[in-house]
Amino acid sequence: MPDRGLRSHGMRDLGPADMAEFRRVERAFLDVTAVAGFREVRTPAIEPLHLYSASGTLSPQALDRVYSFLDWDGWSGERVVLRPDTTVAVARWYGDLRDPGVERVSYAQPVFRFAAEGDREVWQFGVELFGAASDVADAELLTLAQAFLDALGLADVTCEVAHAGLARAAFAAAGLSTREQLAAYDRMLEGDASVTAELAATHPEAAAAIRLLAEIDGSSAGYIANLRAAMPAVIGGAEPALDDLDRAVRALDEAGVPYRILSGTARNFEYYTGVTFRFLSGGQTVLVGGRYDRLSETLGGPDAPGCGWAANALTLVQASAADRDAS
Amino acid sequence: MSAGGSASPVRVALPRGDLRGPVDAHLRDVDFVVEGYGSGARTYRFEVERRPGIAVRVFSDQDIPIQVALGHYDLGIASRTWIDELLVKHHLDSVVPLRQIDVAGEDLVAAGAPGTTLAEVASAGAVRVATEYPNLAQHYLAHARVPDYRLFEVWAQAEAWPPQDAEMAVATRRAADKEGLEVYGEVHRGGVWLIANREALARRDLSAALEPLLRIPLAPEAGGLVAPPPLEAATRRLASPPPEREVFRIAVPDGHAQRHTVAALADAGISFPGYAEDSAQRYPDSGLDDVQVKVMRPQDMPRAVALGQIDLALTGRDWLRAFLATFPAAPVVELCDLKRSKYLLGAVVTEDLPVATIDEAVAYWRRDDPEYPIRVASEYVSLADEYARSRHLGKYRVIPISGASEGFVPEDAEILIEGTETGTTLRANRLTMIDVIMESTNCAIGAATRPAGRRGDLRDDFVARMATAAAATTAG
Repeated sequence: MPDRGLRSHGMRDLGPADMAEFRRVERAFLDVTAVAGFREVRTPAIEPLHLYSASGTLSPQALDRVYSFLDWDGWSGERVVLRPDTTVAVARWYGDLRDPGVERVSYAQPVFRFAAEGDREVWQFGVELFGAASDVADAELLTLAQAFLDALGLADVTCEVAHAGLARAAFAAAGLSTREQLAAYDRMLEGDASVTAELAATHPEAAAAIRLLAEIDGSSAGYIANLRAAMPAVIGGAEPALDDLDRAVRALDEAGVPYRILSGTARNFEYYTGVTFRFLSGGQTVLVGGRYDRLSETLGGPDAPGCGWAANALTLVQASAADRDAS
Repeated sequence: MSAGGSASPVRVALPRGDLRGPVDAHLRDVDFVVEGYGSGARTYRFEVERRPGIAVRVFSDQDIPIQVALGHYDLGIASRTWIDELLVKHHLDSVVPLRQIDVAGEDLVAAGAPGTTLAEVASAGAVRVATEYPNLAQHYLAHARVPDYRLFEVWAQAEAWPPQDAEMAVATRRAADKEGLEVYGEVHRGGVWLIANREALARRDLSAALEPLLRIPLAPEAGGLVAPPPLEAATRRLASPPPEREVFRIAVPDGHAQRHTVAALADAGISFPGYAEDSAQRYPDSGLDDVQVKVMRPQDMPRAVALGQIDLALTGRDWLRAFLATFPAAPVVELCDLKRSKYLLGAVVTEDLPVATIDEAVAYWRRDDPEYPIRVASEYVSLADEYARSRHLGKYRVIPISGASEGFVPEDAEILIEGTETGTTLRANRLTMIDVIMESTNCAIGAATRPAGRRGDLRDDFVARMATAAAATTAG
């Protein structure tokens, strides 16, 4: 269809055939998550900007790309934002509940983020689990993600898993401030090998542990055992993170999902505190998630653990349709 | 496509105001002589001596990055603060900063009341921030991890808002120091830069202008945006409501409106020592212990009233309407018409246009291309937008400007939304008002809900005296 320049940049139409595929994937998502006890919610498209601006929510780099503006009644200077992320909005909703306990919720809605190329409105299918302890919740969500992708019949599904606390603990042990930790984490995710060298030079007793974490991708629970041998003695706070990671990896083993254990998987989301993960199909990222135990409290809600994941709906629709065509 | 021929000149945007003198001196040194520019000639367009094929246009400093980004101008010289104020929000790659030239620029800082720290004000509730640079301020606040804030985009004198009307200002270091504010940190390291439009650099031969402009002496690059260290301790906290104010606060304007306001007050038998036709202290003397007078830009008054910071403000009806066009639910109303400073606000076009109405003008501009985007330039951005919508202009662009407005039409905009008192300036620039939006006079504005007690009584008294005087003036 010719582009007559009448559609905004980064926005797309879904015609009848696209919508049929979209609804098929959405039905699979809602069916799988409903069976697992997740109930659907929907949050407003417009939220106060300050929900996302506190430390521990979105990074400054992500905030630089949100659609923020003054509402018609914004003379007080309070800016609003087109929802750039649903997890924060659901955490706000959870904090608004009169008697928040364990809540399993699902959603199918878009988020809005500026991107020079590609989509600026990104439809997501996601789940959030608030109030459940990490020793079972991480495994539950990993298994649920795999069940959803199985229901779509996606081929060649793999998972990358990490723990946000491990890299932070290593950076903190090397004496980096919060800001320096975030910068080093980003550099590490970008594959900047000099970060490891710098840390090893300034913190030689932890050099082996840092190298093991940053330079080796694990592929079994054995890798975690190696980390356990190298890290706790020199990097405080690593033990609980290794326990979390171990449980997550064993859940993936049970589900039969091939995985890699990395030093980090998620950028620009400061709310992650524990296990983070990313599912890929055919090498393309289709679903990301992780644990965010301080998010509810950061937003003035109860001190409740949380975790969740979100799948890029249109990427899944296209991948699923391609796999069906191929078969 | 090649410039330098007869087809399309190389277009260069130069700043007016304080930068004009030092920039002109450098231009002369590199044999890029723009006769009349340095002396402040009241024209906007110039040629360059002995350099045919170059067209120079003078803009307000802050308008130059937008003009270069839009591709209306190939090259420009502007303050880095205004360049980054545009780029930090809009992530444009169409503006290419080429080099910092040896002209002093202003640094921006975040500052608040003496003896306070950013961590303290950020932990006490929503931080009210006044600034002319909302995008740079937002960048600073996001990186400093201030949990909750309110941005007041003001036209001028942001440093005058703390501590009474805001916790923080993002303003020039010079202004913050002069005001005696506590500097919390750097927001932006300034400098003056030569910039270019990326597409023009890639496609057009700009060398006739680029070669001499690149010979302007360099300055060490100041660094531009500053990312402050994040606050470690600031946590979200609900602000407690401020105590009920007892002092009645009046805002009076500076600038062009000052003369008319002094006269209107005098007619009503009101005098504020320190506020005269030719001078204005920031806080003139009210003569009463429970009445405070503050001098501020008329453009900023409707917001200050809506926020409950000012009880009575003397401003123009145009600024009230522009504010309400942006925020229709804002609790601010006109209390009385002062019937002075009368002028028309409307759509201005070139007088060479062979049409009589705005509808005919639109048809004329689109005679060859039905999708041609009509450019509407104005200081009144919300009114320009409202006008374009209400006249069904279809595809249009509002170009925010901050002065030198008569020079925009017809080259850089089809329509200018502008005020005129006598029409003399418009005629001198071969412009005409084709459509009137409103008649504006100055007026007194206040909160939609009358304050209780003494403040309400004072408001009634001031308004009654000024309304009586205005009626007498009109009758006379």
